[in-house]
This record gives sequence, structure tokens and C-alpha cells, in this order.
Amino acid sequence: MSTTEEKEQAVAENEQAKGGDEQAAEVAPVKPGTWRFLIPIAAFALGFMSHFSLGWVILPPILYAEKQQPIDFSHKLHVDEVGDCEGCHYFREDGSFSGIPELENCAECHEEAMGEDPEEAKLITEYIEPGKEIPWLIYARQPQCVFFSHAAHVKMGEMDCAICHGPIGDSDHVRPYQYNRLTKYSRDIWGWNIAGLSKNGWDYLKQADNSGEIKIEHAARMKMDDCAECHMEKRGTHDACFVCHK
Amino acid sequence: MKLDRRTFIELIVGFSAGAGGGFMATPVNWKLMDDMTIWSQELWPRYQLGGLKGSLPQQGKVTHADSVCNLCPGGCGITVRKVGDRATKIEGREGYPVNDGGICPLGAAGLQLLYGPWRIPSPLKRIGKRGSGNFEKISWDEAINEVVQKLGNLRQKGQSHTVACILGSDEGTVPRLFDRFLTAYGSPNFIRTASAEDTYELALGLMQGTTGSVGYDLERANFILSFGSGLIEGWGSPVRVIQAHSTWRSGDLKDRATVVQIEPRLSNTAAKADNWHPINPGTEAALALGLAHVIIKESLYNADFIGKHTFGFEDWSDSSGKTYMGFKRLVRTEYTPEAVAKITGLPAKKILTLARAFAKAKRPLAVWGRGKGTVSGSLYECMTVHALNALTGNINKPGGVSARPQVATRSWPEVERDATALSGSRRPRIDGAGSNRYPLTRYLPDRWSQVMNGGKAGAIQALLVHGADPYFTTLDSAAVAKAFDAIPFVVSFSTCLDETAYHADLILPNHHYLERWEDLPTPVGLQKPILGMLRPVVSPQFDTRHAGDVLMTIAKSMGGSVASAFPWDDYETLLKETMGDKWGSLEAAGYIVNEGYKPSAWSKAFGTPSGKFEFYITAFDQAGVKIGKDVGYLPHYEPVQPEGNPATYPLILIPTELMRLADGAVGNPPFCTKTLEETELKKNDLFVEVNPKTAADYGLSEGHHAMLETAKGKAKVLVHLFEGIMPGVIGIPKGLGHAAYDDYLAGKGVNANSLIGVVEDPVTGLSAAWGVRAKLTRV
Amino acid sequence: MKEAHHKADEKTYKFGMVIDLDKCTGCGACMVACMAENNLPFRKDNSDRLRSNLWMRVYKISNGRSFPDLDISFIPRPCQHCEGHGHHAATPCVSVCPATATDYSHETGIVSQVYTRCFGCRYCMAACPYHVRVFNWWDPTWPKGMSKYLNPDVSVRMRGVVEKCSFCYHRYQRAKNKAYAEERRELHEDEYQTACTQACPAGAITFGDLKNPEHKVYKLKKSPYAFRLLEKLGTNPKIYYVSTRDWVRKAGDVYLGKEGKDVTHA
Repeated sequence: MSTTEEKEQAVAENEQAKGGDEQAAEVAPVKPGTWRFLIPIAAFALGFMSHFSLGWVILPPILYAEKQQPIDFSHKLHVDEVGDCEGCHYFREDGSFSGIPELENCAECHEEAMGEDPEEAKLITEYIEPGKEIPWLIYARQPQCVFFSHAAHVKMGEMDCAICHGPIGDSDHVRPYQYNRLTKYSRDIWGWNIAGLSKNGWDYLKQADNSGEIKIEHAARMKMDDCAECHMEKRGTHDACFVCHK
Repeated sequence: MKLDRRTFIELIVGFSAGAGGGFMATPVNWKLMDDMTIWSQELWPRYQLGGLKGSLPQQGKVTHADSVCNLCPGGCGITVRKVGDRATKIEGREGYPVNDGGICPLGAAGLQLLYGPWRIPSPLKRIGKRGSGNFEKISWDEAINEVVQKLGNLRQKGQSHTVACILGSDEGTVPRLFDRFLTAYGSPNFIRTASAEDTYELALGLMQGTTGSVGYDLERANFILSFGSGLIEGWGSPVRVIQAHSTWRSGDLKDRATVVQIEPRLSNTAAKADNWHPINPGTEAALALGLAHVIIKESLYNADFIGKHTFGFEDWSDSSGKTYMGFKRLVRTEYTPEAVAKITGLPAKKILTLARAFAKAKRPLAVWGRGKGTVSGSLYECMTVHALNALTGNINKPGGVSARPQVATRSWPEVERDATALSGSRRPRIDGAGSNRYPLTRYLPDRWSQVMNGGKAGAIQALLVHGADPYFTTLDSAAVAKAFDAIPFVVSFSTCLDETAYHADLILPNHHYLERWEDLPTPVGLQKPILGMLRPVVSPQFDTRHAGDVLMTIAKSMGGSVASAFPWDDYETLLKETMGDKWGSLEAAGYIVNEGYKPSAWSKAFGTPSGKFEFYITAFDQAGVKIGKDVGYLPHYEPVQPEGNPATYPLILIPTELMRLADGAVGNPPFCTKTLEETELKKNDLFVEVNPKTAADYGLSEGHHAMLETAKGKAKVLVHLFEGIMPGVIGIPKGLGHAAYDDYLAGKGVNANSLIGVVEDPVTGLSAAWGVRAKLTRV
Repeated sequence: MKEAHHKADEKTYKFGMVIDLDKCTGCGACMVACMAENNLPFRKDNSDRLRSNLWMRVYKISNGRSFPDLDISFIPRPCQHCEGHGHHAATPCVSVCPATATDYSHETGIVSQVYTRCFGCRYCMAACPYHVRVFNWWDPTWPKGMSKYLNPDVSVRMRGVVEKCSFCYHRYQRAKNKAYAEERRELHEDEYQTACTQACPAGAITFGDLKNPEHKVYKLKKSPYAFRLLEKLGTNPKIYYVSTRDWVRKAGDVYLGKEGKDVTHA
């Protein structure tokens, strides 16, 4: 114990003694109970438990807001129909990746209704007819300081789409889009584990979707550490900053 | 239990420690810290992105669209990089015959004009005092009705001739539409804004008997003698000339072209030149004649050309036996190097050396048109410089000068004019061009305001302005402002809130140049005919309409013969019809170039009365120009006195033109203003260049505030000491001093045109002076 | 050192420029093209050059003589992307950055700047002998509607961070993307060019791989008229200048006496 603390204790004891004297003047002296040591422990426990649960249970859901995708899209249905992913998610001539298809792509088939699904009707009346792009919410959108080349990873690195995006092609429904209220980034970037932990960088988190039936899997995290880890593993270097940054 | 002090402290400390510990044992604190960091550095709402939603800047499909730039008369090909439907960058178009991939600062900043706050969002009508900048939005129908009504009334009252149009060009379908409108409506007053073309076209017409503008084969010349032309500072088609300059600077040192700059100030062109000869301002013609003297005296001229294809070189006599002095005798007697040295201040020895070097060069070329070529200039000066090219036989030759035609397009049906149109068109022009006084001149853009202020205040009752900003670019701003005040109805077709639009009664905004179709004829100074095509790169950003369509709607609403002069459904139809069989390739490639074009051989090149190149201008008498003295028929030196009394105004103020500062119809975009040197603009004050010797005479040093005063006005300026300017001369940059546009341009500096008046050329009536007398006092 | 870790198939470059000052006209197109390409902000008053944000700046230098012997030359000055000698810490700015926000890439020879990493201490600005680094004194703002032209390939920078010329690194990324999509690793000379190089109407700027004998810069940098700025500091910059005017060459490579005497140039 440092000298300062000793002094403090001494002062506290003095004060306690004084208090005791005052009390002694009114009521019979009470010997301090042995339970007294429990007070700080109980207070500590209370503080600990409340904030522990605040951190683990209460805050995480508050930190994230949820939005529904504009249309409940079934990848499975489309893959069956189109036959592959490249019909909608393709590389452009300049090597850039088309990402989420534009309305034009959808309109190629859905100029007029192909079935009786209300979601399709919504697509046609709300977007295709007025010519308005669908405001898809992109789970994997990286911050604006990040450059990501699909060509480098898919063409050169021969990585499968599912490594990062999960087997999304098998899903029947879209899952809600969650984003951080502070940073506005998709929850998929930090990862679904609030601790930002993942057993390894690229394992999947299984989560029930709205219907509660079909399990969709997606990457647990898409953070810079994950990029660096894989680059280290595959290329033997973390690379210069100007590889993933712009 | 009683909550005593100790318990209280125990509870607080215990709870806090527990809370801290508990919270530390969760990941949320680290998570929040991380989030806060991102929040603090990537706060999207903090960037004032002006309405663009979402995370920024948004990705999308990248496409490229080719078009042509018309921000200056340079006519470069451009490629616009688009991301989704946003235009994100303008680049020079590879392989375009004017600029082959290069671009100038103004062209590169074009998107700031497209998306800028100075765009006019819809038709606007003035409310409140003119020049107060208060406008209200009105519908297109209302706006067009208003014009139709005003013009209809004037026409009914037999005052159709009081309507004038001011445009930046008289070539291409849109300027021709305006001209046609006036013809059908009944007014002779089509005015083109001033440029060196005004004078050069006249000089070529007189000496060569040709129509059309001057074309310089700069790329193949190997000795370039420039009389004050800002070759690399925006003269001609800027990118093309800079590329020619690079050609001169390529290859082995000994094979490189020689560039000589004649100018009282070390401009960038002078600095890059091999030799810079500062001469007294306004004495360029004398120097050209001094050089001619040496070339003739030492027989260094092209005897073949001079002997067979020129008229008036030697003395000659007419049928009555009267002898006339030839160019040779004039030059031999009047312009000895010694005499010229006295006028110009350039030592006789240097004149000798320069003349020999020029005449002995393989492909010498004398270039005329001061600065960027924004001032008309002196006719005789232009003729003396052109005479140098004739002496070296450098007309219609590779590396030479020629009068070049335009790419032919289909003509339009003749306008059938009613009685009003006929009588109106026959009235004399307001500016006096084509009158007995100035029979040769087509337009006198600097004169109409002087005429109005000189007692004919009602001469213009309605003014339509398109593709020009005469309120800003015309010399003697105060006179222009006064004349504008006297015009009851001013209509601007501008896309941006320029000075003219700012002082207009009605603004009918045209589409921006990246939003519309329009043909662009051969850029100024080019030696081969080119036709470029502006095309919509982005969809119109505002409620604007093509000026061609608006004008046709106005004409059609007026009914009668005015309406029937415009048989086309809309502008696009007219454009396609006019281009005829060329439309296909224009639409596909975006331009047509006559690569194989060669100017005519000497024997067929000249349409003068003598059929030869004329040193002695016989056309003067034919046109009825009153010349008076014999020497007036020859290129000679006639001092152009800058305005002002030398006793009151001991210094000479000359405008300087900068590549980074647009001084024409387009205001300087913020990117370009940002590139200005700290010795050109400081906060809102501009610098004038003063030689340290002159500055010392007036007790001025670097950064001092001074009052610059001329007969036309005065302005507070900052002094920049510059060893590159001749003592006794002050240089002021052109292009600042806007009151319109936005805070990014408005209020910065002084408009040089407000200090410089018009000195009329005795033959053409065009503005001949390049400067003005001035004084500078410390404040 | 890092280089050793690169796999054998990894193509490395040493990008640099040769700028012909005989051709440069000081027109400023490079500056504007750079601003347009790299989302540089602008303000109502930009006349204070100490606070004005330019990645490419064209300096105007003179021979200091009196009328009429004065001569002027222009020196376009992007980031010099100093290689230093031997190890990466010799790049002046990289060696002082406490945040590892700036870094020398051995793959490209480009000195990077990561804005989200920078915390604005400005040591690098003090360390840079070429004044290429600029500090964001304000958050960028664009008048209503004007942010539509922003380039999505380049980050928008916030107040309080340092930025500088990146050799249009995003264009390298773009070019690599295209190459990868075509299943090749090596870039052609014309596939990756900076915005200023492309814009220059005079063709004064040549950009390419300084160590590739097939690139134009390889030959141009060997001109007897070539020099580099403040060469004797030993920063080993990757921008070469060519001028046939003696005074320009002397002005560009100020002699510092003994300092840097022992430095050998790569």
C-alpha cells in the first residue's frame, strides 16, 4: 500500500471515529458489524452485473438498427431460372464488378409479370414502371476509404464467392439489413459477434432468417484484419497500405 | 441501516468499480471506441455534399461519352467519364484532330460549370431594379409569350430594326438561326463579339480577296515570329497551339524550331521563346516593316512569289499613266532599321539579325493577334505582319498561312420576307458597320454602345444575347452599362448567370454544352476544315431548353412570314437536315475533318481585283473606303495612340491574358481560380505588374495597394513587382471583376475592360488599341 | 526487405515521371485535371497558397535577373515519391509518420497516404523537402449539386488530415482490375497513366516504369539535360525533369555543399 493510501485510510478512520463519537452521544454505541465488508462488495457486484449485462445484452441491439430490403428476393429461385450467378453479377469489360444488378437487368425478364408473386408485382409497379432504381441495401459495402477488387480475388485468387458472401445463392428470402447507428456501416463488416471475434477470419455464422426455417450463412466479419490475415497467408505479406486503401 | 458517509462512499466506489469492471469485461467499450473513431473520421453528413445521397461518392457502371468543348473558340474534342448517370471527369479526346487527347484547364473544369450553383434553373424574369439580381421563376410558356409580345409590338410599330442580337460566333446552325430570325423579322443588327478574327478576315479579304478565317500551319513552321500573340496562353485553339509548341520543342536541339516573341512583357510565351524582344507597346507594325526593309534590301524575299503573284510590290502606274508607290519603295525609304529602332526601342542590330534569321528560315511564319485574340486590333498592323508572310512566299504553303474554308453543309431555303422585314433589314446598322464610314466591316461589337450613348439612346429597343457575355467582355464597361440601361428589353439565352444574364430582363436558359446537340465549325486558327458535334452527355439537369428550339418557337408564335421562315419541327430536325449526308458520320464519330485539304496554288489562290496578292489594296476604292493619302493603300505604320493625356496619365496599361483565367463569355470555374498565382490574386484584390524601376518612381513596393486610374475609370489594385515588364508599362490580368456568377468568382479583382476604352481603327472602326494611358498612385 | 517476401510471380514496378520543362507552358491543366480526378475541394478564397490544397502545383521560377534579361520557367511538382536508399525508412515523410499513415510500396514505388489513419500531426509536412503535402484545414464542401462530379475511386478527405499526390493510385488499381479480368498480371505502359500526364496539352509529362527499358521514361531520364529536385539530399525522388536551360537545372538542384556528398544514386 502506498503512503498516500495509508494516509487516506488514517483520515477515514479518524472520521469514522468522530462519527462514532457523535453517535455515542445519542444512542448506545454499536460495534461495527462484520457484514459491513459486504457493502462495497455488493455495490461492486451490482455495478458489475448491471454494466456487464448492459455491455453484453442491452447495448448491442441498440447499437444496430435494422432495415428491410425493398423486395424480398429469392436467390434460389433466380439461380434455378438463370442457371448461374454471372447472369446478374458479372465482370464488366473494364474489369470492374457489377455487384448488385441495376434495374435494367431485372427489367430484361420482368418487363411484365412472370408469375403471381406479390414481391414481383411490387418490383414492377414500384420500380420498373416508374424507372426507379431499387435501393438495395448492400450487406458487404465497405467504407469509402477501401478499395476492393473482385477481379483480383475471383479471377486471380480463384476464390469462391461464398467464401466472403456465404452460400447466399441458396437462400429463399433476404435477411434484414442491420447497420451500425454510429458509423452507418453494415453489421457484416464488424461481424455479428459483438466482440468482433471469429474463430478464424472466415468462418460462417449461422443465423435464422425471417421465416425461421432456412439457415443462411455469411461471413462472420469483413474487417481489415481479415484482409490482412488472408493476404499474409496467401502472399506472405501484409502488403502496402495502397493495396486495399484508396 | 443509516446511510452514513462511509457507506455512501463505499457504495459509490464499489458500484463504480463494479460498473467499470463489468463494462470493461464486455466488448462493447472497445467496439464503441472503434465506432466513435470511424464516426469522427467518416462523418458523411459533415461533408456538405449538396444533396447527393448515400455513401459517397457512389460507384456505378463506368462509361465514356465523346463530345466537343465549346467553352472557348478552341473546339477541342472531349471524352467525359461517367459513373452511372453522373459525369465525373472531362478528358481530352484521343485522336481528335484538334487536340488529340490534350485538354486545357478550363475544359478540364467544365463539370463545375455543369453542376455549379451558377446554372440558371428555369426561365427567369427580372423583378426589381435591373442589376439587383432579383429574378422570379416563370414557366417557359410565359417566358416565350413575353418575348413574342415584346417583339411583336415592336414589329407592329415598324421598329423591327431596333432589335439586335449579340452572339459569340456567326458560324454554325445556332448563330445562323439567330441571323435568319433577324432577317425574317426585319433587322440588320446581328453583332458578333470582338476578336482578332474581325481584323484578320478583313486583311485577308483585302490582300488576298478571300473569305474565311485565317489558318496557320503552326505544326510545320520552323521559325515562328509572334507579334504579341499569347501562343501558349490561349491564343487560337489553345491546346492545339500548345501541342504545336511541343512539336517545336522536340527533337535534337539543333533541329528545333525557333520562336521569337515581340511583346513589351515577359509573358509565358515570351519566356518559352528562344528570343524575346520587348518593344514599345503598339509599335509592332513598325517593327514588321523594319524587318521587311532588311528582307527587301538584302533580297531575302521569295522572288518567285513576289514577282509572279503579287501586286503593288514595285511602283506601278495605272492606265492614265499616274505612278503609284509600291510597298518596296515605302519600306526602303521609311522603315530603315535605325528609324524603326527609334520607334520600337529595339536596337537596329537586333532588327537586322531577326530579319535575316526569319527570311533564311526554311518555313518561317509571322503570327498576328495579340494575347488570346480577344481584341479586334489594328488593320494596318495585321496587314504588315501578313506582308512578312507574303515576302517569304509563305502563303498557302506547308508551315504557312492561308484563308481556310468551312466544311460545307446544306444551305437553307431563302427567307421570304414581308414588307416589314424588307424595310427593316435595309435600315442602317446600329453599330455603323457596312455604312459609308466603315463599308468593309461586318460587325462593330465595341461601337454600338458608344453610338447609343452618343445621342441615339433609343436605337436598340430589344437585345437578344446568346453564346456571349457582352456586358463583361466589351471594352469600356461603363459605356456598356449605360447603353444596357437604355435598352428596354434584354433577353439572355445563357446557361449560367453571367454579367449579361444578370442585367437581363428575361433569361431563357439554354442547355449546358454537355446536355445538347450543336454543330461546332472549325476552331479559330486551324488550317484544315473541321466540323465537330456537341452531343448530350448527360440529361438536362434543370428546366432548360435548347436555344435553337426556343428561338424557333418564338418565331413560330409570331406567325406570318417570320414563322414560315422556320419550316423545321425542332432544332434536332434542322440540324440533321443541315448536315445532310454528313449526319451519319457526325453522329457516329462526332466530327468530320478534311484531312487532305490543301490551300489553292498561288495561281488560283487570290480573288483580288488584280488576281494576285495585293500589297497595294485596290479593293479600298472599290468598296468606297476613304483612304485619303497614298500610303494608306499600303501596309504601313500608323501609330495607334492609346487613350489618355500623357501628362495626366504617364504610364501605359496593357491587359495580360492568362491561360488559367478565362476572360471570354465563360466565367472562370473555381478550379481555375484556385490555380492563380499568389502574385495574381490575393483575397479579392488583383495584382498589377509593375517594373521595379517604375514602382520606385511612384514609391511603390511589392504588395502595396495602389489606385490605378485611366480616362475610363479607376480601381484599387495590389502592386506586384515584375522584372519582366517594360518600365513605364503596367500589366493587368483580364477575366476578373465579375459581379455575377457566384461568390467563387464574383467580387474578385477588377474587370480590365472597365479601364480600357475604344480607340477606333480609322479604316475598320474596330477597336485598334491594346492598352490605355494610366497613372498609378499609392493609397 | 519486404521485397523479399514477394512471391516470384509478383510483378513489381518503379513508377516515375520525366517532365520536360522545355515543353511545359505553365498552363495549369495538370493542376485542374488532378483536382478533378482526386476530389480536391476548393473554397471561395483560395488565394492563400499556404492553406490551399493542391497535389500538383506548378511553380514559377525565375533567373532573378533584371529587365530585359529576366527568364522564367515552370516546374510542375507532384509528390516526388522518394525511394530513399536501401530501406524504406529513408523516404522523409514515411520515416517520421507516427501513425503509419504513409508508407512506401515496394510493389509500385508509390508513397501512399491513408487518410483514415492520419491524425494530422503534420510531421510529414515538416519532413518533406518538396512541400508536396497539404493539410486539410477545413472539411470539404461542395455547392449544392456539385458533388455529383466526385470520383468514386478516390476517398473524400476530412478536416484535420494530411494528403498528397498518390500518382493516381486508383488508376493503377483500375488498370490491374482490367488486367486481372483478362487473366494477366503485367500492365502495359499506356494502361496506367496519371491524370496530369493524360491531361497535359504539351505532352510534357511522361509517366511509366523507371526500371523497364521498354518504357519511355527509361530512356528520357537518361537525357544529359535531366535532373531531379534537391538531388543532393539523397531522397532519390522518382520525378525527373528535363531542361535545356542551364539556370533551370541549377535552380532545381540546389547545391548544398558537403551535405549528401557520399550518397550514391540508384
